[in-house]
Amino acid sequence: MKCGLEIHVQLETDSKLFCDCHTNYQDAPANTNICHVCLNQPGAKPFPTNENALEGALKIAMMLDCKIADDVTYFMRKHYNYPDLPSGYQRTSVPIGYEGDLNGVRIREVHMEEDPGQYKPDLGIVDFNRSGIPLIEIVTEPDMKSPEEARAFLRELIRVLEYSGDARGEGTMRADVNISLEGGKRVEIKNINSIKGAYKALKFEMVRQKNLLKRGVEITQETRAFLEAQMITVSMRLKEGAEDYRFIPDPDLPPMQAKEEQVEGIREKMPEPPHIKVKRFMEQYNIAEEPAKVLTSELELADTFEEVVKSVDPQFAALWMRDELKRVLYYNKISFDESGITPQQVIELLKMVQKKEVTTKVGQRIIENMPNSSKSPKEIAEKMGLIGIVNEDEVIQAAQKVIDENPEAVADYHEGKSAALNFLVGQVMRFTRGKAEPGRTVEFLKEML
Amino acid sequence: MNLLEKSKAIRNQEITALDSLEKFNQVIASKNSNINAFVQIDHETALKKANEIDARIKNGEKVGKLAGMIIGIKSNINVKDFTISAASKTLENYMGSYDATVIQRIKEEDGIIIGMTNMDEFAAGSSTETSFHGPTNNPAAPGHIPGGSSGGSAAAIAAQMCDITLGSDTGGSIRNPASHCGVMGFKPTYGAVSRQGLLDLSMSLDQIGPLAADTSGIAMMLDTIAGNDPKECTSIDWKVPNFTALLDENPEEALNGMKVGVVKQFQEVTDDHIVNIIEDSIDKMGEMGAEVVELSFDYVDLCLPTYYLINYVEFFSATRKYDGRKYGHQIEEVCGDEVLRRIHMGSYISQQEFSGKYYKKALQARSLIRKEINKLLNGVDIIAGPTVPKLPHKLGETLEPMEMYAYDVLTVIANLAGIPASSMKAGEVKGIPVGLQFQAKPLDDAKIVQAMAALEKAA
Ligand SMILES: [Zn+2]
Repeated sequence: MKCGLEIHVQLETDSKLFCDCHTNYQDAPANTNICHVCLNQPGAKPFPTNENALEGALKIAMMLDCKIADDVTYFMRKHYNYPDLPSGYQRTSVPIGYEGDLNGVRIREVHMEEDPGQYKPDLGIVDFNRSGIPLIEIVTEPDMKSPEEARAFLRELIRVLEYSGDARGEGTMRADVNISLEGGKRVEIKNINSIKGAYKALKFEMVRQKNLLKRGVEITQETRAFLEAQMITVSMRLKEGAEDYRFIPDPDLPPMQAKEEQVEGIREKMPEPPHIKVKRFMEQYNIAEEPAKVLTSELELADTFEEVVKSVDPQFAALWMRDELKRVLYYNKISFDESGITPQQVIELLKMVQKKEVTTKVGQRIIENMPNSSKSPKEIAEKMGLIGIVNEDEVIQAAQKVIDENPEAVADYHEGKSAALNFLVGQVMRFTRGKAEPGRTVEFLKEML
Repeated sequence: MNLLEKSKAIRNQEITALDSLEKFNQVIASKNSNINAFVQIDHETALKKANEIDARIKNGEKVGKLAGMIIGIKSNINVKDFTISAASKTLENYMGSYDATVIQRIKEEDGIIIGMTNMDEFAAGSSTETSFHGPTNNPAAPGHIPGGSSGGSAAAIAAQMCDITLGSDTGGSIRNPASHCGVMGFKPTYGAVSRQGLLDLSMSLDQIGPLAADTSGIAMMLDTIAGNDPKECTSIDWKVPNFTALLDENPEEALNGMKVGVVKQFQEVTDDHIVNIIEDSIDKMGEMGAEVVELSFDYVDLCLPTYYLINYVEFFSATRKYDGRKYGHQIEEVCGDEVLRRIHMGSYISQQEFSGKYYKKALQARSLIRKEINKLLNGVDIIAGPTVPKLPHKLGETLEPMEMYAYDVLTVIANLAGIPASSMKAGEVKGIPVGLQFQAKPLDDAKIVQAMAALEKAA
């Protein structure tokens, strides 16, 4: 199979694309972030195009390795009749970037659009708060060969968008996917709102089409809608009914031209895209692909890693940040950025572990207490009484106590149950608050038993 | 007393804004039912404003450029709390929800808006007969059409119902009725006056401009409304001349040394009686020191088709918002024949399969016309000629669409080229006014105002 995607995501700006209204449409009561321009009242003309939206779109196009149109670009009017469209047309730009690439999937083009309002038939209203919010649309070539590849691409794309800092992410995503199987025509699926949805729609469609082909039924070109609740697709219209949008250049908006200095300025400031960063991390720091991917899953995390490895062994840091730090973030359901953990905190902790000032176990306890703490790892350790490695006398004392108090486990050990030794080691660690070296503890216990 | 003198008299408390308003109110009361120039009047607000201005003048407070001037506005320009119907049933319930940029500026300069004037439905016409509010009569030639589409704005001036009106001009809609009603009308350079708040007919051609009984009224209004609007993308950032200052000293000398072009093809398509009168005016300009040169423009036949193709497509696009959901009526269900014809034509030729054949060709033709006109204008200061090639027909007479479109052949050029143009009364044929049109290079609006003032002085 071959699959291509058209993905819309909102650009992150304070004001709308062609007026000064705020973009916090989800928080605002219905129809409060509106004006005559985004309502397209009779006579209203668009204000000049929001520069931040334009720069964000250019940046994303460049991060997707697109060529930037050096000719003039302009907005077209795409006419269609729907309650959420106050002017009867949607403004959509010609491509501002084209011929890009993301992990081997070719990007056909990147362009800008304005979001329509939201028709809410259940409430009997149209809410125009969303009308005029800038969107970016990314169109790929049909380069994905399975639902899994499409899902991987979308995940990576969302990561690029997050890196850019100029897009709102998966929550605002709307996608159309097209799929064609060997021996069948191209089918387009609309109405997809998440990566999972795209995956499920493709899976469903692949099975449906395969079954038809098996039965010798021809697959005709058509547009289908994805029903999220049921995870199925249903036919919307056949090719004959294709809409004619009567595209014309918008006469109210003069052509735009991205200036070379502007493009270069954005290129200098733009973050390195995550898929490029993965490759660089692998080469520069000699770490495997998997930890490199984890470390670049978030721009702030990747930046912190690069700060940390200035003074800590990269492979050691990679291991710790991938396993322990990510575990803590995952447990707390927060991003690294939200955790407030600083590079200095990470550096100090890793140095303490490396110099064996604390055990790995204690290190784990410390890192668990690092999110949203302004204390240094040392302060955390001190406060919890975790600092220092206990002397061997104390370990021996603790071991004796454990042996005395757990005759059953001792008996089990002598019967050859290895789990019993682990249990006893754990008890020693508990008495020493994790400060005993696990290796030495095992040796002592074995001797004493 | 011209309008500038009148405004000074109001400032000097020789007359009051209130007196002026009351006089106009009487005229409106006695004549508007017959002329139908105004479709909505707001006496009360105007009265309040007039009293306020008089009080401020009395107290020695500063007042704006248009202090005490009584203004009428074409019904396709947004004024808060007036019905902005564009003379269509489609918008019979649409109240202006915001002030157009030109209206904001008029209010800031203390102009008194008295009401909304009649027009062709959505400005798609040249006779003001297609209005949902009924036709407007021509005060200068009763029983004839006043021209259009800003027929109400021209008739209001001709009938002395107010000082200055605003119209909009897409293919002649200010100059055509100015010509038929014997008043001054001015279409500024495209982008010289903000379109923010003007209902669309054809966005790349539409321009707001003033009508008045004399050049000083035109100049005062241009001083008020011209200038960059950062909130309108086609608005030009230009150094606006002081138009009224141009009229201060010996305006008649402006023609001395001015190079005036006369395009022979413009005369050829024009009624001979009209040509005679226009030639008299041009001779007069020669006597006043102008150097008259003959020019040739081979693309007259290309202008009307180009103009209408662009107009159809842009109008189709502009009317998609009148889908019946927000303003009460779906346009196709309630509009008149001409508006419907333009929507259907626009819908047809903007289809994917035809747009290359018609619309894109029209845009190419337009570039050619623009280039050729600018070439002509390079050698002269202004081009002078007839505004309309024929006299207005009688009210009630029915014309074929092509006959109606023929009124526009000499005025659409300025819109296609984006250049400034005006019309002023040159004389009369059988008691019917005939207009003299001036055209100039983009942003040479001042040259036209100077030529108008000079010729006006000589009359
Ligand atoms: Zn808005």
